[in-house]
Amino acid sequence: MPSRQALFWHPRPYDLPASDALFLRAAADNCAYHIAHCPGYAAICRRLDFDPKSLRSTEDLARIPVLPTLLFKREALFSMPERRMAMRVTSSGTSGTFSRIGFDWGSLLAEVPMVLRLGARHRLISGVPAHCVVLGYQPHRDNHAGVTRTMYGLTFFSPPLSRTYALQRRGTSYIPDLDGAAHALERLAASPFPTRVIGFPSYLWFGLQQLEALGRTVRLRPGSRIILAGGWKEHGAQEVAKSALYAAAERVLGVPPDHIHELFGAVEHPVFYNACPNHRFHVPIYSRVLIRDPETLAPLPMGEVGLINLISPLMTATPTLSVMTDDLGYLEPGDACGCGIPSPALTIVGRVGMSDIRTCAAGAAELLGKGEMG
Amino acid sequence: MIFAHGSLLPDSRLPGLLAGLEGELNAALAGPPLPAETVLAALDALGRRLAAGEFDALLRRFLPAGELARLGEVLPLFTRDVLEEKLRAELGPERFSPRERRQTTARFLPLGVLLHVAAGNQPGLGLFSVAEGLLTGNVNLLKLPREDKGLSLAALSLLTEAAPELAGFVYAFDLPSSRTAELTALAGLADGIAVWGGDGAVETFRHLAPPGCRLMEWGHRLSFAYLSGPPAAQELDALAAHIAATGQRLCSSCQVIFLDTGDFSAARAFAEAFLPRLERAVLARRTGPWESARAALSGYTAFLERVTAGREPGEAFFRGRGCSVTARPDRELELSPMEGNVLVKPLPRSELLPVLRRQKGRLQTAGLLCAEEEREALTALLARAGVTRITRAGRLSDAFPGEGHDGEYPLRRYLRVVDVEN
Repeated sequence: MPSRQALFWHPRPYDLPASDALFLRAAADNCAYHIAHCPGYAAICRRLDFDPKSLRSTEDLARIPVLPTLLFKREALFSMPERRMAMRVTSSGTSGTFSRIGFDWGSLLAEVPMVLRLGARHRLISGVPAHCVVLGYQPHRDNHAGVTRTMYGLTFFSPPLSRTYALQRRGTSYIPDLDGAAHALERLAASPFPTRVIGFPSYLWFGLQQLEALGRTVRLRPGSRIILAGGWKEHGAQEVAKSALYAAAERVLGVPPDHIHELFGAVEHPVFYNACPNHRFHVPIYSRVLIRDPETLAPLPMGEVGLINLISPLMTATPTLSVMTDDLGYLEPGDACGCGIPSPALTIVGRVGMSDIRTCAAGAAELLGKGEMG
Repeated sequence: MIFAHGSLLPDSRLPGLLAGLEGELNAALAGPPLPAETVLAALDALGRRLAAGEFDALLRRFLPAGELARLGEVLPLFTRDVLEEKLRAELGPERFSPRERRQTTARFLPLGVLLHVAAGNQPGLGLFSVAEGLLTGNVNLLKLPREDKGLSLAALSLLTEAAPELAGFVYAFDLPSSRTAELTALAGLADGIAVWGGDGAVETFRHLAPPGCRLMEWGHRLSFAYLSGPPAAQELDALAAHIAATGQRLCSSCQVIFLDTGDFSAARAFAEAFLPRLERAVLARRTGPWESARAALSGYTAFLERVTAGREPGEAFFRGRGCSVTARPDRELELSPMEGNVLVKPLPRSELLPVLRRQKGRLQTAGLLCAEEEREALTALLARAGVTRITRAGRLSDAFPGEGHDGEYPLRRYLRVVDVEN
C-alpha cells in the first residue's frame, strides 16, 4: 500500500501537522482494505455506518470504528490468509487469553524507517558493539509473544557481542535466572565494551533491589544503556516512581538517567513509542491517539483521563487501524513538556484490569461455548 | 505459605508436612471430637471482630481495592445467630443428637477429613467453606485460590489464636492447581472434597478424588430475573441496584431479564425503558473511571462480537453511561457481558421449563417480579424447571438465614450416619 509507505518514510517523525494528509490517506486506504478483506470488520463498519471515503480531516479519525484489544482476544480477525503473512504474534495475556495479530510483509517494511529514524533520534542506535543482558524471555520458535521478539530486536540496535537472558527456556517452560543475569553484569563491567540491559521495568527494579541488598553494585562501561520495554503490568509488580528506579540504576549499575530509554507499544499497535528526556511518550507521525470517555466512549478533550484509542494504518493482515486498549491515560500538549518535541504526549495511568475478573458466572458459560446454545 | 498447627509456615516445609500429615490427621480423628459450641463461639467472635473493622488495616494488605466491601457480603454468615439457624435448618432441631430408631440408634459423626478447594471470585469463600467443615467437626484441608493473597491465612490465624483447640483441625495450602502430585496426596487423605469454582476445577478434582471419596461440587451457576405483568417501579429499581451492586459477577447475579411474553418488540421496549434506571443505579455506585471503563469495554466488545459473528441484526443494543441493555430475540439463559451489561429476552411461561432445562445443573436464582396472585404459580413453575432459589426483585444475591446451597444442605453432606444396634 503506497500511502502507508509514504507515511512511514516521512522524514520528520514528530511533525504531526505535516503528516496529517498522508496519515488520512493511509488510514482511508487501510480501512478500505480491511473492509474488502475481513468480513467481520466490514460488518462492524456497516453496522456503525462508517465509510472510509468520508475521512476528510483529522477530526474524522474519531469516527473510524474502534476495536477494543479485548475483541482480538476473543475473535480471530484477519484480513489475509496466514500463508501470506510474515508472522503471527501474540500479546502477553495475563490469564491465558491473548490477542492473535498477523503481520504482513508491508508492515515490516514500513517499520524499518520508523525504527531507524526514532532509534537515531533517541540515540538508541550505535555502531559500538555491546553485550546484551535481556531481563525477559529467551527467544524460542514456540514463543510468539510480541514482547519477546521486540526485546530480541532491540539487541540489534548496536552490534551484539553476547546475549544473556534472565528468563531461560527449559523444555517447554521458562525459569527465572536473575542470579545468572547478575553474574553476567558483574563480568561485563570488566569488558572493554558497553553493556545494554533490555527488559521489563519490574524485572529491572526487582533485580536492582536484590543486587543492592547484597552489596553487589557494579559500574558498567561508559556508553552502557538500559532499554525498558513491556510495561509494568507484565509481572504484577508494584509500580515504583520512575525517579526511584532511575536513581537505583545509577547507584547499582552506574547507568545515568539520560542513558535509560523507555519504550511503549502493543502487538495490536506496534508503533515505536520512545520516552523523551522528560519521560513522556510523544505521539509520532505513524500514530494518532484519542482519549475516550470511559462512560460514553466519546472523544475527550486534551488533559482528561479516559480509555486510550490508538490509531495507525500500519497493519494490513489484521484490522488494527483503530484499537482501544484496556489502559486509562491522558494526553498533554507537546510544548508543555519542554523537551522540544512538538507532538502531544501520552501518559498511561493504569490498567482497567479486565483479565483479572474471574467470575463464577463466567465459568458456567465456558462449557456452553461462549454462553450460547441453539 | 502454609497454615498448620495454628501457625504460618514457609512453603519449603511442605514436603515434610505432607510426609507426616496422615499421622497428624489420624491423631486428630482419634482425639476428642470438636464440639460445635466451641466452633460457634470462635466463629462468632471472629465475625464480630471482622465486622467491627478491627482488622481492616490488616486486611487491606491482602485485598485489592474494593474487595474489602465484598468481604462484607460473607461476614454476616459468621454470626452465632446465622450459624445456629444454619445448623437447625440443615440438621433439624436435634442437630447432632443421636436419633433413636426401632432397633438402632443413629449417630451423626463428622465425615472425617475434608479438602476444600476455594474459588477466587469471592473473598472469604475459603474461610466460609472451612467454617462449614469445622461446624460439623471435620478436619479441614484448604487449597487456597491463586487470588487469595493472604486473607484466608490471616483469618485462620486469628481464628485459631482465639480458639487454640481448633488448631489441629485446620490446614491451608497455597498450592497452584498445577501441583498435581501434592494435590493428589491431599485428595488421597480426604473423605470428602468440597470444590468451588469453574468446570475446570470441578473436572480436575473429580479426577483426583479416589473412588469412595465424597465430592461436593459447588460449581458455577447462572441466575436471572423473571418478569410477568407490569412491574412496580421500585421493583425495577431494586433489580437495577442489584445488577449494579454485584457487577453481575456472582452465581446469583442477574444475567438475563426474561419477560413473560413471546413478543420481541415488548422486550425491546422494556430494554430501552430499563436503561435509564440501570444507568442511575450504576452512576450512584460509581467510584471512579475504572468501573465505567470496565463496563463500557465489556458491553461494547460484546456488541462488536455479535456484529462480527453476524448475530447482531435483530438485536437491540442500548448503551448508557457505564452500562448497557441488549434485547435479544432468542430465549436462552446465557452469560451476559457482565459489569452492568444486562440482557433482555422474551420467554413466555409456556416455554419456560424446556428452555431452562437446557441449563440443568447450572440454574441457581430467579428474581421473580410479578403480581402477588401469580406468585405461587410462577414460583412452582420455576422450581420445577430446576431453579434452586427464588427471591424478590433485587434480592437475588442476598444471603438468607437457613437457606440451602445450590439445592442442597451442605452440613448434611459433611456428616455421616453411624447406625448402632441397641
